[in-house]
Amino acid sequence: MTRDGAAGLICLALAIALWVLSRGLPQSALVPIGPDFYPRFVIAIMGLLALLLIASDLLSQRQKVAEAAPAEAKRNYPLVGATFAVFAVYVALLPLAGYRIATFLFVATLQAVFERPRGAKRWMWLLVAALASSLLSYVVFNSYLSVLLPRGRWTGF
Amino acid sequence: MLDLLLAGVGNVLQFKYLLPLVLGTLAGLIGGALPGVTITMTIIIVLPFTFGLDPLQGLAAMTGVYVGGSAGGAITAALIGIPGTPSAITTTFDGFPMTQKGQPGRAVWLGIWSSFLGGLLGGVFLIGATGPLAAIALEFGPWEYFSLFVLALSMVAGLTEASLLKGLLSGAIGLVITVIGSDPIMSVPRFTLGTDFLRNGFPFLPVLIGIFAFAQLMTDIEKMKSGEQADPPVKAPPLTVSHLKVLWEILSRPFLLFWSTLVGIVIGVLPAIGGSAATVMAYDQAKKFSKHPERFGKGNPEGIIASEASCNANVGGSLVTIMAFGIPGDAVTAVMLGAMTIHGIQSGPLFITQHPQVAYGIYAAYLLAHPIMVLLCFLGARLFMRVVTVPKAMLIPNVLVLCVIGAYALNNIMDDVVVLLIFGLVGYALVKFRFPLAPLILGLILGDQIEVNLVRALMSDANGWLFFTRPISGALLGLSIASVAFALWQHYRHKKRKVVEETDPDF
Repeated sequence: MTRDGAAGLICLALAIALWVLSRGLPQSALVPIGPDFYPRFVIAIMGLLALLLIASDLLSQRQKVAEAAPAEAKRNYPLVGATFAVFAVYVALLPLAGYRIATFLFVATLQAVFERPRGAKRWMWLLVAALASSLLSYVVFNSYLSVLLPRGRWTGF
Repeated sequence: MLDLLLAGVGNVLQFKYLLPLVLGTLAGLIGGALPGVTITMTIIIVLPFTFGLDPLQGLAAMTGVYVGGSAGGAITAALIGIPGTPSAITTTFDGFPMTQKGQPGRAVWLGIWSSFLGGLLGGVFLIGATGPLAAIALEFGPWEYFSLFVLALSMVAGLTEASLLKGLLSGAIGLVITVIGSDPIMSVPRFTLGTDFLRNGFPFLPVLIGIFAFAQLMTDIEKMKSGEQADPPVKAPPLTVSHLKVLWEILSRPFLLFWSTLVGIVIGVLPAIGGSAATVMAYDQAKKFSKHPERFGKGNPEGIIASEASCNANVGGSLVTIMAFGIPGDAVTAVMLGAMTIHGIQSGPLFITQHPQVAYGIYAAYLLAHPIMVLLCFLGARLFMRVVTVPKAMLIPNVLVLCVIGAYALNNIMDDVVVLLIFGLVGYALVKFRFPLAPLILGLILGDQIEVNLVRALMSDANGWLFFTRPISGALLGLSIASVAFALWQHYRHKKRKVVEETDPDF
């Protein structure tokens, strides 16, 4: 099974789970069409399309002549994982440490993950750039554009 | 209409509207010129800046981004052979060879002036067609609206480059996401799992930002090497050129200019297809109509004119769809639609009559953005080349911070930032499974409207055949079936020569 088949399976599982959940939806006494009507309609479409995708994947596997898979460009998935992880920590830290501290830490960390500074001078540049990002964006949004940014529960800052 | 348009121009020329328009156009030019930063990404970055502005200020800034971004891609495409935006890819085919022949100024300015002329012609269509199309849409009942939305979804799914099945499934996923939360008729909570987090469903903008921003940024990050050092800055060549000569070069090919513009407008009007399809199609048509097709790809001015004129005309077409029907022409207008909702403006057939100042302000902003774009290029095209060398290691964290602000500032709650993260993961997963994102976004936008119109139609008359027997509704559903059949036929035709390879999606 290729990634199309896997995607179809995930969508089908999701459709089945939502269909089961839709059975618990209350019926409306006021209108003839209840709140479960449309969700079931679109969930059924999604399930059907997922089934078709799985079937088409299985059929194409059967018909496929033996041929070499195309060479895939090398991709840096660990870096993607690290970026998601750093971002998730940033999201968790925002309400606790506040926008300014969390953003400074996030920008500095992610820059270091992408481009490891070599030498004290580069580290200094990285920290200055992160500090500038955090403070500049805070001043522009909070002071000039009246967009309130989160304050930290731990820091009050 | 002319009075309202002139009033709109006068209004936008006021400093408080002109400044966001100029800054938006500048941001668009830079974002469009930056390889790896698309117009969608630029407009997502600009979005949080518009929250504190009045609706027209915000929309003027976004219109500027759209116009500037569509033209900005040509600069890097012509000078370094890397398209700043996916829609500028066809500009590289002839723009870069022209630069290599020692005519960088001619290559860049052919692109900019073609964008200018194509964009203005698209503007004529925008102003002329939106009102009549909106008037037609006013005659629609729930049956016609439902069928129109189904047509939009089936066209987008069918015309995406990935498989038809995956396009349709992507649209269905978008629709399913909208059923989570309170139902739009009786406000009954659905699929909330008893949590407050899901009670109001997923807010549209954090979902959109998450899906597009992460899908694009993570695709870029995949290609980075850990701990890599920045590339040395690119030195821009001088861009001196006779502007009259360049303009004559374009205007002496009126058929090419008009045809490419028309292709751009038509593709723009079709929902969520995007500028790349317009430029590729216009380039292909220009080559077919040319007396010297063998010169294409070797620095032929016709290639640049076709690509850039269609690219900016596409903007006008996209704006028509959003203003007349409330359906976004592409991801950029989807963000604009979200921004309108934040400011309490409902886009659709009543938009022009209910908000004439904003509607004609958008027309005016669109028209004025073009000369502003030319002026900014005149002042700083070489400067943009320095900006595009900003290292990704510095750019990406800051873009992510702006995404967080964009999501958080909607309701000032962290839940929206969590939604951003969740849909960032979903968006990246969809890209890895090679799902097209445009149908999903359209499904997300239209989901509630489809439900409301379907239920309304069935509540007023339980006869489901009315969807087929009412003339306009039936015709729209017939077109939906035709578009799916066309996509199937195309798939069958190309099946034998299709090579499966991992390509970067068009954001």
